[in-house]
Order: sequence, then C-alpha cells, then structure tokens
Amino acid sequence: MVILSILILNKAGGLIYQRHFNEGLNKLSSNDYLVLAGTFHGVHAITSRISPVPGSGGLEVLESDQFRVQCFQTLTGTKLLIFAEPHQPNIDVICRRVYELYADYVMKNPFYQIEMPIRCEQFDRQLVAYIKPKQ
Amino acid sequence: MPIYSFYIFDRHCECIYVKQWLERERERSSFRPQTANSTISSPATLSEKRVSTPIDAPTNARPPHGRLSVQDDAKLVFGVVFSLRNMVRKLSGPDDNFISYRTSSYKLHYYETPTNLKFVMLTDIRMDNLRVALHQIYINLYVEFVTKNPLSPVEHKGGEGVACELFELGLERFVQTIQDV
Repeated sequence: MVILSILILNKAGGLIYQRHFNEGLNKLSSNDYLVLAGTFHGVHAITSRISPVPGSGGLEVLESDQFRVQCFQTLTGTKLLIFAEPHQPNIDVICRRVYELYADYVMKNPFYQIEMPIRCEQFDRQLVAYIKPKQ
Repeated sequence: MPIYSFYIFDRHCECIYVKQWLERERERSSFRPQTANSTISSPATLSEKRVSTPIDAPTNARPPHGRLSVQDDAKLVFGVVFSLRNMVRKLSGPDDNFISYRTSSYKLHYYETPTNLKFVMLTDIRMDNLRVALHQIYINLYVEFVTKNPLSPVEHKGGEGVACELFELGLERFVQTIQDV
C-alpha cells in the first residue's frame, strides 16, 4: 500500500493536518499547503454546483498522471484527502480506517480543540503504524 | 451512458465553444409531476432537443430556479479546471497532467493541448477515461474543421469561427459512437 501523503481539512477549509509518507509528490512549504487546502475546499464546493445532474456531492476522486487523490467528506464537514499512486486499490478502506483513527485519537482527546491543527502524538504514531508499518 | 456537456476554452481563458446534451433529460422529465426540486426548463427551451450556443447569443429566458445560465456554468467549469490543473502542476511538477475527476453523480474529463487549448467533457460516472477521445476530437475535428478553415480567425474571440457546421456534425457523430460503446 503506497500512500504518498494525507491532508485533513476542517469545516472551513483550513488545513489541520498534513503528513508525507512516501516520495512521489513535491515537497511544498507549509504556506503552500495552506493555500492548496483552501483552493481544494473552494473547488469542492463548486464541483457540486456545476453538476449537470441535480443533487451532486462534491469532488470525490481526482486523477492525474502521477497520483490520485481521494477526498472523503465526513458528515461534519471535515475532509480527509488521501494522495496515492494512480493504481492503488482499496483507497476507500484506507479512508475509513484513517477516519476511525481520527475519531479515536483526535476527537476523543480531551485536550484537542475542534477545528484547530492536530497535534496529537498518538494519532501520528497510529497513522504511521498503519500506513507505513515497516518504518 | 449519457454525455452531459462539452466545453472548449482557449488560452485566453475564454469559453469558445459549449455544447449541452442535458436538455434531452430535462425534456423527458417534463411529463412527471412537478416537485419542489424540479429542474424543468422554461417553455421557450423545451422545444429544442439540445442547446448549442455561441457565446454572445442572448439567453432568451431566465434559467429555472437554482440552475445557472450557460455562460455562468462555463465560467465555473473553467475556474474549477484551472484551479485543479494548477494544483496538480504544483504537487508533481510541470510535466504532470490532470486527467479527470469524479463526484457522486458526474465525471469531468480534461485534455489540454500544447497550445493551451482546453477540452472539457462532463459525463456519467460509469464512463471510462475519455482522454483519448478528447485527443481525437482535437486532431480529427478541431484541427481539421476549425484551425484549417481559411475563413476562421486566428483567435476565436467570443467563440467566433468555432461552431461551423462540419465541426458540429462531426462532433455529434463522434459523441454518438462514444455513447453507444
């Protein structure tokens, strides 16, 4: 399972978590990631608006030559962006597992402020153990 | 598998060609009783099976509640496509190309030529990657009937010179073959 990177956006489109796992994407500055997150949030909203069929959700999968992004939007408006290689199967399973880890180690952390950047060591550790077990 | 619409944008960020096939869907829905979320178009456009508008033609009726006019739709599509293309370039270098994206109810396919001409097609989600098809539209239809047309201008400001008859006919036929596959 080769996941390139994971981004988590809050309800307002702000970046609250970003981590690289494997080589494949350019390393950008943290400001660039913030801008990227904001852009994605806006694009996600517009994609549901330009839908030719009424009642569309937002963007779910984005494909390019060298990577593929899957966006999982939770019922609370949090977006989990998983960047992976183009032919990686089962990204849905990975999305759901990351969401589970988020619910367990971030939301249940009593010191975590909602919508603020995630600084939970347990979440980091569990995520790395799941995504990159041999590290 | 239905194809919903097709757009061409030039390198000056202008929409030079729009073709929508969704009017057919709306026409069929006119026989069902009206619901709160109805997208039934106004009587003026119901008689046409499809809308193919040059960009500076005036819109004859106000679009039904919640639906955008064709020009606004084109602008939004361009914005989305432009932002995603820049995002992809930033993340994996200037050689990477954004191919397509999918939502829960439609799929958008994108192809950009080396001259920064952008071809965008919105289809049903089950449609496979249409990049090759868009490339063929470019080579066999656009280059043949628009670029090689001695009467068409070099820059298609406002969409002039693009919607010529041979191009439209060729496009219809080509889209039929894709839809039937």
